[in-house]
Amino acid sequence: MIEVSNLRKYFGSVKAVDGVSFRAEDGKITGLLGPNGAGKSTTLRILYTAFRPDAGSALIDNLDVTIDKLAVRSSIGVLTHGAGIYERLTAYENIRYFGELHGMSGKELKIRIGELAELLEMNDFIRRRAKGFSQGQKTKVALARALVHNPKNVLLDEPTNGLDIMATRGLREVIQRLKDAGHCVLFSSHVMQEVAALCDEIVIIANGAVAASGSPDQLRADTGQTSLEDAFVKAIGSEEGLI
Amino acid sequence: MHTRKISHLSSLWIILRKEVVDNARDRRTLTTMAVSIVIFPLLMFGLIWFLDKTVKEETDLVNAPALKLPVIGAEYAPNLINWLTQNNIEVIKPPADPEMSISKGEYRVILFIGADYPDSFRRGATAPLRLIHDSSITGLEKIGFNTVQGAILAYSGQIASLRLSARGVNPETANPIQVNVSDVASPQARSGQVLTMMPYLMIMFIMAGGMYLAIDTTAGEREKGSLEPLLTQPVKRHIVLLAKLGATIVFSSLTLLMVLIGLGLAFRYLPVDIISISVGIGKITTLFIACLPFVFAGCALMVLVASFTKSYKEAQSYLGIVMLVPTLPLMSLAFMSPEPSFSNMWVPALSQGVIIIETLKGETIALELIGLSMICSTILAAALSWLAIKLYQRERILG
Repeated sequence: MIEVSNLRKYFGSVKAVDGVSFRAEDGKITGLLGPNGAGKSTTLRILYTAFRPDAGSALIDNLDVTIDKLAVRSSIGVLTHGAGIYERLTAYENIRYFGELHGMSGKELKIRIGELAELLEMNDFIRRRAKGFSQGQKTKVALARALVHNPKNVLLDEPTNGLDIMATRGLREVIQRLKDAGHCVLFSSHVMQEVAALCDEIVIIANGAVAASGSPDQLRADTGQTSLEDAFVKAIGSEEGLI
Repeated sequence: MHTRKISHLSSLWIILRKEVVDNARDRRTLTTMAVSIVIFPLLMFGLIWFLDKTVKEETDLVNAPALKLPVIGAEYAPNLINWLTQNNIEVIKPPADPEMSISKGEYRVILFIGADYPDSFRRGATAPLRLIHDSSITGLEKIGFNTVQGAILAYSGQIASLRLSARGVNPETANPIQVNVSDVASPQARSGQVLTMMPYLMIMFIMAGGMYLAIDTTAGEREKGSLEPLLTQPVKRHIVLLAKLGATIVFSSLTLLMVLIGLGLAFRYLPVDIISISVGIGKITTLFIACLPFVFAGCALMVLVASFTKSYKEAQSYLGIVMLVPTLPLMSLAFMSPEPSFSNMWVPALSQGVIIIETLKGETIALELIGLSMICSTILAAALSWLAIKLYQRERILG
């Protein structure tokens, strides 16, 4: 479970995150929706301990991200923006590397990578070196790498960026399965349809602050719109930066 | 869920091992190392062969062609001219403007015999001669000047003895002291000048061997977007940095080892007369261990610089310059040949340079001086690593 309260992060005079609060429950998919530059990535970066907030608090499974950094990192799986993988290592080695850093080894690790390869349909390229992989294949490797230690909380930053339709469908399925297995899934996106189709809870972020939040039904009711997409636009105040 | 604790040491090892495997598959890293083992001896021996050939040609008195000496006023001193001719010096007609032709480099030395020479000579006074030469020309070019001067002084000595004998004085009276020179330099030490290039090349190769790793594991990893996922693993950042530094050191020291082995093989199998040095296992081991602290410092410097550059390209251009920094203290090796002492052996790069030269010459250096060199370079390495860790802990590292 992720609890964020009044989070602030300024870069000089730029208020990247300016008082964001929300909750992401276990067994639910929570979406951070907002145009580019709204503060979604910065919020996630604070959650996965890359940035230190200027004010406010962020708890993951009741662990403070600014204090129990290592414990927090053990309990999360992160798909960062861009999802760089090591091109001279095979897909398998890429995933094994991160598994080992989480203290996994031997047969257990091997079985886990086998499961993920099956789940993400990676078997035809798992033993190949990553140089020349398509964006979809790279994202799958990065996702498997993020999930190798079976983290309770999964943070995905724009996971469908650069994926084709089939890969996007596959990814949605994986996210759905993570939810069914009781994980807390938090992902950011600027794609309205994607958020609408997947999320149990939606947090709409604009200009570093939460513009609206709640379940899809709540959002529709609160904004007085019948379509979820109209509700998003109403909440943010413009269509700019959304797809 | 796996929340098991993993020790710093095993994290360090996992990251280091991954970087070594990853970069061992990189053609650039491997090429640098392979080149070092082939190019280094070739460079060295190309240079030595060239010097060898030149020195032989210049100093071979038996087969050497006669030195051509333009003489002005040769008619005033026929005896002297005879003497010169006997000493393998061919007297030729002088050019119109002697000073000019010397500064233009047409001749190395011209002898000027004045009209007053025969008169002074006959009177038994000191007869003046003038040798025109350009003292700014150094090295082998001066052999011509020294040969002529030597021949004239020898002639002067002979005449002096004859004059004294003619006046009933034992010529030895005028020579109160005779200097006999014995040269104790070992044949290896005489090749010393040739060796001054060696530290340059070795230190350049040490830096080059680690350069691609330093870039790839810091700026490169950030550019590829894999640094952020790595930093979200349950590993302390300073462990990540130290592991990457460790991998850089592994490749850099492997390059050093290969260069040393290449050198040993080359000295053994390449036919060069001027330099008779054997580089055995013992010397290789000594040099490797003595240079290791410099490897640490050099790698730490490169990782430090590479961690605050934004991209691979930027890191590459910065490190191209940084690579030259350790060669600056080595400049003094070319201008003077410093003896190892407490006043110079604390300087990183320079002290290793001195150790390389002295060891190859076959001379021994006091252990405490080697120790001083190793300790000071290690302290520098630690300071640079500490700085790199500080930089690595900033948020801006993610770009």
